[in-house]
Amino acid sequence: MWLTISRTFKEAWKNATRNGWLALATISVMVMSLFLVAILYVSTFTVNDILNTVQEKLSVSVYFKFDTTEKTIMDAKEYFKKNVNVSEVEYISRDKALEDFKKNNANDPEIMQSLEEIGENPLWSSLVVRANDSERYEEIVGYIESSAYREDISRINYGKTKETINRLNGIVKTIEKVGIALGVIFSLIAILITFNTIRVTIYAYKKEIEVKRLVGASNSYIRLPFVFEGIIYGLISALISMLILFLILRFLTPFISKMIPTQNLVSFYWSNFLIIFGIQFGLGIILGVFGSLIAMRRYLKI
Amino acid sequence: MIKFENVSKIYKDDFHALEDINLEIQPGEFLIIVGSSGAGKSTLLKMIYAEEKPTAGEIYFDEVPLSSIYKRKIPEYRRNIGTVFQDFKLLSKKTILENVAYALEASGAPDKEIKEDVPQILEIVGLGDKMSKYPDELSTGEQQRVAIARALIHKPLVIVADEPTGNLDPEASIEILDLLLKINKLGTTVILASHDKAIVDKAGKRVICLEKGRLICDTPKGKYKIKQ
Repeated sequence: MWLTISRTFKEAWKNATRNGWLALATISVMVMSLFLVAILYVSTFTVNDILNTVQEKLSVSVYFKFDTTEKTIMDAKEYFKKNVNVSEVEYISRDKALEDFKKNNANDPEIMQSLEEIGENPLWSSLVVRANDSERYEEIVGYIESSAYREDISRINYGKTKETINRLNGIVKTIEKVGIALGVIFSLIAILITFNTIRVTIYAYKKEIEVKRLVGASNSYIRLPFVFEGIIYGLISALISMLILFLILRFLTPFISKMIPTQNLVSFYWSNFLIIFGIQFGLGIILGVFGSLIAMRRYLKI
Repeated sequence: MIKFENVSKIYKDDFHALEDINLEIQPGEFLIIVGSSGAGKSTLLKMIYAEEKPTAGEIYFDEVPLSSIYKRKIPEYRRNIGTVFQDFKLLSKKTILENVAYALEASGAPDKEIKEDVPQILEIVGLGDKMSKYPDELSTGEQQRVAIARALIHKPLVIVADEPTGNLDPEASIEILDLLLKINKLGTTVILASHDKAIVDKAGKRVICLEKGRLICDTPKGKYKIKQ
């Protein structure tokens, strides 16, 4: 068994290296499809990560009218907490809000000046409500709006963040759709071109195959070289694709880090190396073997 | 050893390649099949090494009906039979040594066995000094010897030779016949298809004649007497 595998693998290697240009064409197309899948994986991850960061920061701020008593606000806090979708409610008093505001704008003298001109605290006290799940904010807002505290509320701040999230979700979905479509198309092309390469090999080795049959070579001994040839293309393509991916991520990291400080794509590459590698290798082998099997089915009579 | 029982072969386009063949070949026999081209010689040989299946009837090898051999066991069965052809079927990119070794590699023989057996068999066919040459560097007669060496490497019970002298000059043809006779003397059954009168007459062995797929003569120590 081991002898058969090592001998047929050697033969496959010879076959693959003897058709240099065909091998090159096969590997290039396969690299493209594998690379696409890798990019899809990395970009989905990146956008999802951004989305998570944004969602963690997400909250609904409920601002109360100036004349609302602290007791009412505390009652409202308890009431909001009762909603199953709410994970946390934080009370920010007018004084605390002013303090935060001053802290945030300490470097802006114009704002500080106008604040002084007003003379009194212009800020509302508020409750910051966070949800278990970012999809639930709309329900929570509805819950708040229909509560008995409606009259005390001056404003609910939610709209903008919702738009951002929807847009990000849209981007993720588009990337996935386009990526999957391209991935499927390129995979089909990769299978097709592997099929053609193996077909050419089968033609070129017609005599060898005939002699093998006559001398009583087992069917697997005749078929394995072609299967291995497909696998060799898949493995080489996976290696090349991994290398390109690494170089591109390395090149892109400084730019992306500038936009999103939490992202480091190179470290992502290394921490997910095995997964990406596994996907690439697995897919490479599947594409190679598939192309070779179709070719053998049609052109290799045993 | 090999028995044909009412064997017929009809190809798709209703071409009757063989019709109702009954034939028995004893172990150690040297059998010559004569007939003009298209008479069914090759089809008959192909059936022996299980390349073709009969449309009707049964072929037995050592009492075992070939139709009972599973498809994946056929390669194993074929190692009982060495084949030699008019066009040699050597691999031009491999040396003589590699060509013969290839047959052993394909059947999964260990490297040690290959290293020992191949030079030995090339010695037997008289090519011990040309092992590292390529087929194109040899004469046609020598190329056919390589093919015979390859056929012998599995120590087969039967050698099937389909027009092995068809591409050779008369002198080389006689040499190949002598080699086949020598192999036969050592105990291997030889089945030789030929329409080379000189060869058939010189062999002086059992001759069967095919004409349009029918067996029309079977004579011990026969001569070639088919009209061309």
